[in-house]
Amino acid sequence: MTTAPLLSIHNLVTVFQTPAGRLPAVDGVSLAIGRGRTLGLVGESGCGKSVTAMSILRLVASPGRIESGSIQLAVDGESLELTSLPERRLREIRGGRIGMIFQEPMTSLNPVFTVGDQIAEVVRLHHRATRAAARARALEMLKLVRVADPEQRLDAYPHQLSGGMRQRVMIAMALACEPDLVIADEPTTALDVTIQAQILELLDDLRHRLGTAILLITHDLGVVAETCDDVAVMYAGRIIEQAPAAELFSRPLHPYTIGLLAARPDADRRGGGPLTTIPGMVPPPQEFPSGCRFHPRCSHAQQPRCDGEVPPLRELSPGHFVRCHYAEEISP
Amino acid sequence: MTELRQGDHQQAATGPAAVAPDPEEALVGVEQLETHFPIRKGLLRRQVGLVRAVDGVSFAIPRGQTLGLVGESGCGKTTVGRSLLRLIEPTGGRVQFAGRDVRGQSRADLRRLRRRMQIVFQDPYGSLNPRMKVRSILEEGLLIHGMGDRAARLERMTAALERTGLAAAALDRYPHEFSGGQRQRIAIARAVVLEPEFLVLDEPVSALDVSIQAQVINLLAELRQELGLTYLFISHDLSVVEYLADQVAVMYLGRIVESAAAEQLCRQPLHPYTQALFSAVPSVEPSRRRQRIVLPGDVPSPSRPPGGCRFHPRCPLAEAVCREVDPPQVDLAGHRVHCHVAGRELDRTGGDATAASAAIAAAITAATAAPAGPSQPRSDA
Repeated sequence: MTTAPLLSIHNLVTVFQTPAGRLPAVDGVSLAIGRGRTLGLVGESGCGKSVTAMSILRLVASPGRIESGSIQLAVDGESLELTSLPERRLREIRGGRIGMIFQEPMTSLNPVFTVGDQIAEVVRLHHRATRAAARARALEMLKLVRVADPEQRLDAYPHQLSGGMRQRVMIAMALACEPDLVIADEPTTALDVTIQAQILELLDDLRHRLGTAILLITHDLGVVAETCDDVAVMYAGRIIEQAPAAELFSRPLHPYTIGLLAARPDADRRGGGPLTTIPGMVPPPQEFPSGCRFHPRCSHAQQPRCDGEVPPLRELSPGHFVRCHYAEEISP
Repeated sequence: MTELRQGDHQQAATGPAAVAPDPEEALVGVEQLETHFPIRKGLLRRQVGLVRAVDGVSFAIPRGQTLGLVGESGCGKTTVGRSLLRLIEPTGGRVQFAGRDVRGQSRADLRRLRRRMQIVFQDPYGSLNPRMKVRSILEEGLLIHGMGDRAARLERMTAALERTGLAAAALDRYPHEFSGGQRQRIAIARAVVLEPEFLVLDEPVSALDVSIQAQVINLLAELRQELGLTYLFISHDLSVVEYLADQVAVMYLGRIVESAAAEQLCRQPLHPYTQALFSAVPSVEPSRRRQRIVLPGDVPSPSRPPGGCRFHPRCPLAEAVCREVDPPQVDLAGHRVHCHVAGRELDRTGGDATAASAAIAAAITAATAAPAGPSQPRSDA
């Protein structure tokens, strides 16, 4: 159980069957997360990062479905295929082995139950625990995520808490059963920066203490740079670059990654002329271009290769993968 | 010792009346602006409290300049923007626009004035009427202000769309046919078609993806250049503000706690809140990454602001005086800060902002590093 990754995704294809046709929101994604590691999955809206996360737990709503591919989770030394696991067993995985944290804690918490009841429910669903034991565990979790006055907060309703506190409660619920993996989908996007700093610090601290692996989904490259070990960049349903975080940010290879990094405003760019932009916008799935999906926006695109041939994900240096025909020429 | 120096400072600091630098020179001048909302309860809707959303804010924006107003949710930055245009009625203070007292204008005069001061909102989905074609959206203001006949209006609208990077064909389409970035361009076109002098930009790029955000930021910079516009740029995103603004003001709980030239504010922040805010922004460049200061707790409610310095319950450097005395403003050649500790550090360093900023940062690191370390036992507290 040492070298095998905790979660490995191979060639995942998740499609939405709509009147407009078959839309591949996730189109051949492969990822692996080791125990206790943090993988950042980044991209702009509509790139397929959230659908990838939902596919792992088979929570993609109809008309979406996993069309092909494999998602394997290591559990007690054996490997479970989540795409074909019976629903009953999958329910043990959700919340038990894999916890989830969503972007908007107000809509993901139930407004009519106290936060204590909601955390206790997770515990009772996965373990035979008495009401009192579950409540004690809920209290312990609130302490763990550093909620102030945990005894009082146990009986508070979500609307009585601030945004940051609600997100702590979400994290407490996600971690209540000591999962091996937490999927955090934009966990700090709705929060202010000082509260974001609190939550990121908390997640990092918990990861070190509990050894939980994290799949962090975000559009914020800064958040990834500061919290993740590895990064995968998605564009139009595909991973276009993947590398250890330090490597990716110091030596981005894909023109899209390079463009995203250059488009970030900061004080150093003041007076240095306009920001570098990526022309156009992310195409919706019904308009995915042929070949390399980034080619219509790419200043390095060369025809006919870029619009005719899907570039493979190539390993240019150890651990650094890029999906671009001309990566070597663009950034030698 | 502390008390003495603090006393010195109260004298050295400019009084609240002289906060705004010569509003006559500025296109927009705000002095001691207050916008309070009553909290009503019960059958008789009796007033039981007051939300001090904006509580004594002063600033001036010279023509052609951009003031960035930053702060976290609930600090009152949006209320400031709306109060300037009297979209929300301020309850106190003065607002000057091009030498006129905005609060004293009659309804008709205010309407005329509003052609010259426009606003762009954050949410390009909520701020454009989905039942109106782009033509009607743009034309509405022109009609209200009686700007030109049919042909002249069409010409203005086409020009405004082209200027914001959209084709004239957009006129006959509905907002839902456009992407988020394009809708924000429409919202900007709606503002600039009236040929205003001043724009309140309330989080104009916050809802957009990074690559689209850069396009819209560039557009705003171009328009400012070409049309000589003056901006109040409201945002929670410090990196965008740093890039676009000439001056930056940081708000906390209804007040400006620090303001300075953009570069100075981000290089030498003096207020502990500003330092925490800047340190919390995640960066992709390790060299730019600062020691992250994690503030405890949440922003208190503006209906019950803490006494003394409003930041003191979350401030790692709070002292006895901070709980008691509202810190006076210290003005160091245009770098203004409301903080007892910063005032003292500036005194000690003889007005060297770089040294004072570094000393405050070191003090915060020392104060926050020791307790609440990451590896405490699991079930304490």
